[in-house]
Amino acid sequence: MSEPPIFTEELLDRCISCGFCLSACPTYALTGEEVSSPRGRINLMRALEEGRLPADDPTLAEESSFCLGCRACEPVCPAGVQYGPLLEEWRARQWPPRTRPLRLRGLLWATNRRWRVRALGLPRRHARRRRGPGPWLMLGCFERALFPAVSRLAARLVPGARVVARQGCCGALHAHNGELARGHELARELGEALPGVILTTSGGCAAHLAAVLGRDRVRELSEWLVESGAAASSGGARPDGAAASTGAAASTGAAASTGETGARPSETGARPSETWPRPSETRPRVGLQDSCHLRNANGVWREPRELIGRVAEYVELPSASRCCGAAGTYALLRPRDSRVILDAKLDEIAAAEVDYVVAVNPGCLRQLRQGLRRRGSATRAIHLAELLATLGD
Amino acid sequence: MTTQRPAGLAGAGLAGELAEIVGGDHVRTDAGALETFARDATPLHRATPDAICFPGETREVAAVIELAAERGIPVVPRGSGTNLCAATVPHRGGIVLSLTRMNRLLELDAANMVAVCQPGVITARLGEAAAERGLLYPPDPGSRATSTIAGNVATCAGGLRGLKYGVTRDYVLGCEVVIGTGETLRCGGKLVKDVAGLDLTRLLCGSEGTLGVITELTVRLVPAAAANATGVAYFSDLADAGRAVSQILAAGVLPVTLEFLDHTCLETVEEFAGIGLRTDAGALLIFGQDGAAEAIAGDMSAMAEACAQNNGFGVEIADSDADAQELLEARRAVLPSLSRRAPLTILEDASVPRARLAEMVQRIDAIAAEHDLLIGTFGHAGDGNLHPTCVVDPAQDGVLQRVEQAFAQIFAAALELGGTISGEHGIGLAKRDHLRSQLGDAHMRLLTRLKAAFDPADILNPGKLAS
Repeated sequence: MSEPPIFTEELLDRCISCGFCLSACPTYALTGEEVSSPRGRINLMRALEEGRLPADDPTLAEESSFCLGCRACEPVCPAGVQYGPLLEEWRARQWPPRTRPLRLRGLLWATNRRWRVRALGLPRRHARRRRGPGPWLMLGCFERALFPAVSRLAARLVPGARVVARQGCCGALHAHNGELARGHELARELGEALPGVILTTSGGCAAHLAAVLGRDRVRELSEWLVESGAAASSGGARPDGAAASTGAAASTGAAASTGETGARPSETGARPSETWPRPSETRPRVGLQDSCHLRNANGVWREPRELIGRVAEYVELPSASRCCGAAGTYALLRPRDSRVILDAKLDEIAAAEVDYVVAVNPGCLRQLRQGLRRRGSATRAIHLAELLATLGD
Repeated sequence: MTTQRPAGLAGAGLAGELAEIVGGDHVRTDAGALETFARDATPLHRATPDAICFPGETREVAAVIELAAERGIPVVPRGSGTNLCAATVPHRGGIVLSLTRMNRLLELDAANMVAVCQPGVITARLGEAAAERGLLYPPDPGSRATSTIAGNVATCAGGLRGLKYGVTRDYVLGCEVVIGTGETLRCGGKLVKDVAGLDLTRLLCGSEGTLGVITELTVRLVPAAAANATGVAYFSDLADAGRAVSQILAAGVLPVTLEFLDHTCLETVEEFAGIGLRTDAGALLIFGQDGAAEAIAGDMSAMAEACAQNNGFGVEIADSDADAQELLEARRAVLPSLSRRAPLTILEDASVPRARLAEMVQRIDAIAAEHDLLIGTFGHAGDGNLHPTCVVDPAQDGVLQRVEQAFAQIFAAALELGGTISGEHGIGLAKRDHLRSQLGDAHMRLLTRLKAAFDPADILNPGKLAS
């Protein structure tokens, strides 16, 4: 074979085709067709690698795009297949720049340079520059434009956090959309701009950074708060065994007691007329939407549940661990499929009668907020940082 | 694997005709889809079909079979494709009939303790539905989270609870089936006792889609146990573990779990998973019981004692569910750990009468050494069902021939010890050539005549089992 391989051989070899992934896959659940299952897609990748299917095969194009990339197949895989990296390699071959939809090209362009990412955040009030012992707070790219309050409140929850303005996009967006090399480059650049442990409020970014920079370099907010024992705890009963170790002296003196009044959800775009329930009056019912990559790649899922349980009545939504259909750029590129997946989730949220659904990733937050608003639901979608900063008094 | 296709199989026309039956959205003939239906969970076997169709009801299944019979087109029924014997690889091309759309649980009849379901119901879902009513569907093949109930019946799937609860065939009471003529018939039903006619339901268990397409099933449920418990013991060699098992059963204990790992498995699991197993041991035995809490306690201590009396060491009984999960982790980690040692994993299931288990594992070790192969063996000590698992790099010269020779010897050894070439995986394409050596000529001829009676046009999964 003279052609350079498309896939890392060890990654592709790992699959033993047992099919255990089928039941975990949201797109397989929609179609019931092998071809839209993780095992089916790996067989497509093999056919592409071995030349049995040409690169321009329409089924290859469709399936590499129909896949949400949620990686729900990974935790259930007995053979330890790393599907996420395989999908990235697949899309790097499958989605050459000129065939990408315009919308996607715009997004990748906007986040490709540090100054452009900074410009995205200019009109809004994200966390301000601040010195501190660390961790290094990541402001995100679209998160700083869409949900600036998230980084501001995260900075309040982690008083030791250091904030610098000179930081760009982590490159997850690029890696997941066919620009794998650039995605890794951006992650390394960010690693240099934030040279210690990076604290992020976005599960998707956490997983990408962990893959490129190493797991030790990254902490998602809930993970940091639980590990450092610094999270708000007075709002509610601590679940059994949830007492976190109290290390990290830098982060003691929980943010929630620094005297600032609780942020209102209006800060992040929710309707200003909303009356925010004070913990002393009511104990709101709060559900969670896991961040797929945070859960499936970084193994963080207990932490947000534990933190919510400390300030509110935690309600496990039946499909909390399954993709909401946001899936990075998916909601933009495949709006119809994304809606089908979201609709089932919204039905569940309605049935659970929760006051809030917490997200730990900006994409999920946007997706849930739009969906709930469209239905005129009384449930509000908010970021974990907002919930903790507000109810943690 | 060579692909023999009947002449005159018109691909393009076929798609249109199938679309007329099941609807255009439920037929695939694109190269990519055909590629993904070329395989199931069995390594080394792949062959692309000409079309895949997804019927939504029995009437559509019958129409597809009628069309195929008229035209002599092979039809390979398929559930989730988790079988390990290439039973659903369409090596003669034709139509893959995927039953995943027919996935409704039609009835859970607690009074009669039965469930009625469509073929594509996922085994674990049936289990959950039964559990909600305090009932249990006992067969628990490793793939139950993905496998379909009709796929389980077609391969007569087993699982970890075989010794106490039996296997799939022990729970199928009735079915609706479309045979090779396109006729639809019902056999059995909700009754435990029903001797009207031959037991065709049971005949379909393990028929691997060669006799008919199952379109509905009635399965038996049993009361769920109130509690369960798990323990482990190490042995310096497997023969001691075998003696412990004999003593346990002789003492009148019928355990729900009796799993073993050989030394190769122990070493490999520890190397990759690092869960603190003792690699100085020759075997690990995991034992468990379910039932009423008081009864379990007695059984568990009897089992622990039997282990200790047969030179068992490190004997431990889990105090909590979490601890039990930890003990079972070793068993769960075997296959993933073995599979990480080389790109290709071949999982077999030759089985022997329980009392010959240690002897069989010794034979397997000798065969592995003879062919310079890495074969780890684990499995169900209670029912003699072994899983010799070979991991190799297929890029190595001549390795696949060595694997083939080794497994031929393993199957021969199993038969010599009064066992079988397949305990629970099935025959399919993978062991087709070994079936005759177990069954003999007269038996094979009868199977062929039976096949012809159900499927005169020889279109149902042709070329497998006795056809």
